[in-house]
Amino acid sequence: MSLGRDIVRVAMADLFYLKRNVWVLLATSLVTPLLYLVAFGYGLGKGVIMDGVPYLAFMIPGVVALTTLTSSFSSIANKIMVQRRFYESFDELRLCPISCASVVIGKTVLGVVKGMLCGLLLLFLGHFLCAELQINAGLITVMLISCFVYSLLGVTAGLLARGLPTMNLFNSFVILPMTFLCGTMFSLSALPQAAQDIIWALPLTHTTECIRASALGWAFPWTSLLILCLYAVVFYAVSWYVLKTGKE
Amino acid sequence: MADIIEARGLTVKYGDKTAVDGIDLRVHRGEIFGFLGPNGAGKTTTVKVLTTIRRPTAGNIVLDGRPLTGNLSAVRSEIGLVQQHIVLDKDISVRENLYCHAMLHKIPRSEIKQRTDDICAAVELTPYLDSLVNNLSGGWKRKAAIACALLHKPKVLFLDEPTAGLDTQSRHMLWELIRVLNRRGTTIFLTTHYMDEAESLCDRVSVISKGKIADTGTPRELCEHLGRTAVEYDGPNGREYRYFRHWDEGKAFYESLGSENAVLRGTHLEDVYLEETGRENAALLKKVLRI
Repeated sequence: MSLGRDIVRVAMADLFYLKRNVWVLLATSLVTPLLYLVAFGYGLGKGVIMDGVPYLAFMIPGVVALTTLTSSFSSIANKIMVQRRFYESFDELRLCPISCASVVIGKTVLGVVKGMLCGLLLLFLGHFLCAELQINAGLITVMLISCFVYSLLGVTAGLLARGLPTMNLFNSFVILPMTFLCGTMFSLSALPQAAQDIIWALPLTHTTECIRASALGWAFPWTSLLILCLYAVVFYAVSWYVLKTGKE
Repeated sequence: MADIIEARGLTVKYGDKTAVDGIDLRVHRGEIFGFLGPNGAGKTTTVKVLTTIRRPTAGNIVLDGRPLTGNLSAVRSEIGLVQQHIVLDKDISVRENLYCHAMLHKIPRSEIKQRTDDICAAVELTPYLDSLVNNLSGGWKRKAAIACALLHKPKVLFLDEPTAGLDTQSRHMLWELIRVLNRRGTTIFLTTHYMDEAESLCDRVSVISKGKIADTGTPRELCEHLGRTAVEYDGPNGREYRYFRHWDEGKAFYESLGSENAVLRGTHLEDVYLEETGRENAALLKKVLRI
């Protein structure tokens, strides 16, 4: 299929880059979630029960969820922004006989692969530390969808950012608050209703719900999965439009 | 001679600012065409429009008989571009860059190795194939970028200030490469603000100033438009220049000056360039230094 082949063509350079730097990229991406695990999981959460399970079992899926966000988003957004604004190498893609759809999806591959590698490593570590966690096909699928959504968000941000200050602003006011507030480390029911309403609109909340439900064998929140898919459609549509019309 | 690029009324605006102002361009098939102008004159913008990276605000472009409208895939396969900045992926090797470029241009896998070997041999890049782009010097990075741009066998190669910032050896190495590519049949569209480069390489040149074409022709024709003979001398407003159609006229004027600082010489492309694009910077510098 032509779209599939073109996606691989676009992703090829990023995959060569990943192959050369995989250990450095994984190490830097895993430092923060591992610190969260140690500091919150063992330091503060020892003996605490949350939503009926030990805090560590509650927290690990949340940390996996936030890792899919941070690993997927950062690797894509910054790379595209630098390629556009500093190296102007993104223009080269315009010169190739490749559709905008292939460029948008092809550019997510690095984020998806990196996000999945980091997420899986954490998940295996979590499974070792906490017997309640289950690793199953549903969980892997949800992680894959999650990495794809945040990679698409990375493509969108990378295409729209006017420079490093804009990207830093987006990281500080959107990505960082999401990582803490979207139910990754505490139950949302602890927050005031107004705050809950806002947080329910954010994609990471739904990722956390899906991953936690899959990992702990709870009833699966299909609405959250649908909302994640809707986010994917929106991020894809915005990226495609920006690329097609040259408005980046 | 048939034109491989024909642009009419090309206009590009960024908001209220007009970067390219209704220019007409014709590039003959098989020539080295120089596009000269100072920084900010509109050279890179014109290249971006001609290579389909940017859409013009107005005007028509025909490249190799195809208008640059609608589906651009076929036209793009005829274009090679080496941008002003090195746009190769600096964190991977030259070979990997070439492979990715070949993949993006849909070159069959079975042909990629042969083409890579051929082009790298032609540009003498073979010893550096497995080096990281980041570890190459400026000249070799530029050669690697040219090799990438040639992989899909484009009919027109756009080189946007290819020797900017390079040392003399690297510049001459690239000039020779450009001549070889042109002899092999590739039309070259070269932007530069180095007049020696244009004089040495280009069959024809256009001078662009403030978004408009000031003059077009062979370097010799442009010099003749201005006057074949130049006399430069110290006048009341600093260094002044006068141009004459015939050597005898210039010589008579030179002798009438009776000044030791006056120089009688042939007109260079640099004179044409400075007359067309303005000597404001030099005048401004003198003014500042006097203060």
